[in-house]
Amino acid sequence: MSSVLTATALSKQYGKFTAVDRINLNIEPGKIVGLIGPNGSGKTTTLKAALGLIPFEGELKVMGFDPRTQRDDLMKEVCFIADVAVLPRWIRVSEVLDFVAGTHPKFNRSKAMTYLDKTKLKPSMKVKEMSKGMIVQLHLAIVMSIDAKLLVLDEPTLGLDILYRKQFYQNLLEEYFDENKTIIVTTHQVEEIEHILTDLIFIREGKITLNTTMDEISERFTEVLVGSEHYEAAKALNPIDERSVFGKTVFLYDSVDRSSISQLGDIKTPGIADLFVATMKGTYA
Amino acid sequence: MNTMKWLLKREYWEHKGGFLWAPVVVATLIAVLSIGSMLYGVTAGNENGFRIGGDHNMSLNAALSSISEADKAEFAAKLAVGYPAFAMPVLMTFGFVAFFYCLGNLFDERKDRSILFWKSLPISDRESVVSKALMALVAGPIIATAIAFALSLIVMLTLMTLAALNGLNMFGAVLSNSDFYLVFVQLLSFIPIYILWALPTVGYLMFVSAWAKSKPFLWAVGVPVIGGVVLGWISMLTGAGIELDKYWQLVGRGLLSVFPGSWIPSVSFDNGVNVDDSHNMLSTVMSNTYGLLGTINLWIGVAVGLAFLAAATRMRRYRDEG
Repeated sequence: MSSVLTATALSKQYGKFTAVDRINLNIEPGKIVGLIGPNGSGKTTTLKAALGLIPFEGELKVMGFDPRTQRDDLMKEVCFIADVAVLPRWIRVSEVLDFVAGTHPKFNRSKAMTYLDKTKLKPSMKVKEMSKGMIVQLHLAIVMSIDAKLLVLDEPTLGLDILYRKQFYQNLLEEYFDENKTIIVTTHQVEEIEHILTDLIFIREGKITLNTTMDEISERFTEVLVGSEHYEAAKALNPIDERSVFGKTVFLYDSVDRSSISQLGDIKTPGIADLFVATMKGTYA
Repeated sequence: MNTMKWLLKREYWEHKGGFLWAPVVVATLIAVLSIGSMLYGVTAGNENGFRIGGDHNMSLNAALSSISEADKAEFAAKLAVGYPAFAMPVLMTFGFVAFFYCLGNLFDERKDRSILFWKSLPISDRESVVSKALMALVAGPIIATAIAFALSLIVMLTLMTLAALNGLNMFGAVLSNSDFYLVFVQLLSFIPIYILWALPTVGYLMFVSAWAKSKPFLWAVGVPVIGGVVLGWISMLTGAGIELDKYWQLVGRGLLSVFPGSWIPSVSFDNGVNVDDSHNMLSTVMSNTYGLLGTINLWIGVAVGLAFLAAATRMRRYRDEG
């Protein structure tokens, strides 16, 4: 099957500031891709370019369409949440459901109702009467009920409590996702999406610093918990990061022979959050 | 998928307060005030009597009964045609609503960022812009005209009932007058002219609404006004004969054409019909109003309005919301 998203030398300038710097990217269908980066790293800009919301330089094809010139065709296949709390404040739950049902051929109203039944939202409620978390719940219920080939979620769970966040990602994986769909998601709560991702992209200062599958991560990266007696030996193997835990040191290695370092201490595959911190060190310096 | 129907519904839901309730409130106010003063007039007239002409007091009943049949017929005929005049303020209210609606409809969705939700649905920017223009040009005027007509009927029927109770029965004369029914059709027939006439203003305001980063009102109104003042200074200081009248006419045409009836000063009545003598003033105005279709003023406005709407669509489509 052809790619869902292909970017070639994708760039975006805001005045003198380069938000996205000649990115090359290829996303295949049937993936759940985590796009992870610190604030201002260009992840939202990249997504907005892909959704035809902003002009950009370079080449970009999403579902085979150019977002600049074929946005109307693109939007029949793609659904997205581009920002928090963008539902219009005046609208009622019943109205927004009617409207989406009337304008989106792939919207399943009864599915949305099932999601909403699990919340405190009532059909007569207006968005302006809702808490931030409730607005997010409503938006997610709508988006999850649209059978789009590509779903783009930029910080979809901001403002939700942890119970609902877990629930949402579980639903996303079990009820929404299938091999014909692709989901691209950004979030700060990396740990929570770790188990549902198939692919991972780190972005920093407008450049991609890591683009890999979750399987590759476990092959490529290794974490070792090293006592002080092996500290120098571990340091000599060029770790990409080190941090202290209970008097011991955790070293993080990229592409290292596991059998050789397993003698230094307990090894395991690092979590995305630790990998992220290691790769992004110095970002705010 | 009947996208346009839903887009119009959406505009109506959001702006019900302006397009429905504002005219309804004004209409209710007019109804209460006019019916109230009629009732007061009747009570006071019957208790204390009237002074008509000389100094002899006369009860209202007697006064009304003494009206000659000819006068009565003429009065009834005028009433049968003129009764929608009660509702002029309702149509003016609609003009204000339409003005501010157009100035805000593409600005507010950017300000509250709800555009990011609307743009996540398979709706083109053209459909969105067209639906907003249709709300101001078609749906809005129809609602306002219906309210205006309902108000006119209520006030008119109250007036006739009170008059009848006091010895002046005009029901037969008015209800059998075909003008009484035609006048509504004629009012509705102004809507196509309104659409064409108001198009440049709707287009201009919506363009400013799509373009302005903040304060669309100041941009839309302030810029042409300041421009006029500057032109005035230049004209005064240099003695150059700038035709300021024409400039202000243009500004007025551009900004005020959303007000129903704003075309009337541009209607030419020089086809030999004297408005005052006419048995049906409204139909005279109407037949002459359709004469606007032959003027270049109207069609230039239509072209300018469509160009502004196209520009507003491009603005909404390509504007960097980053």
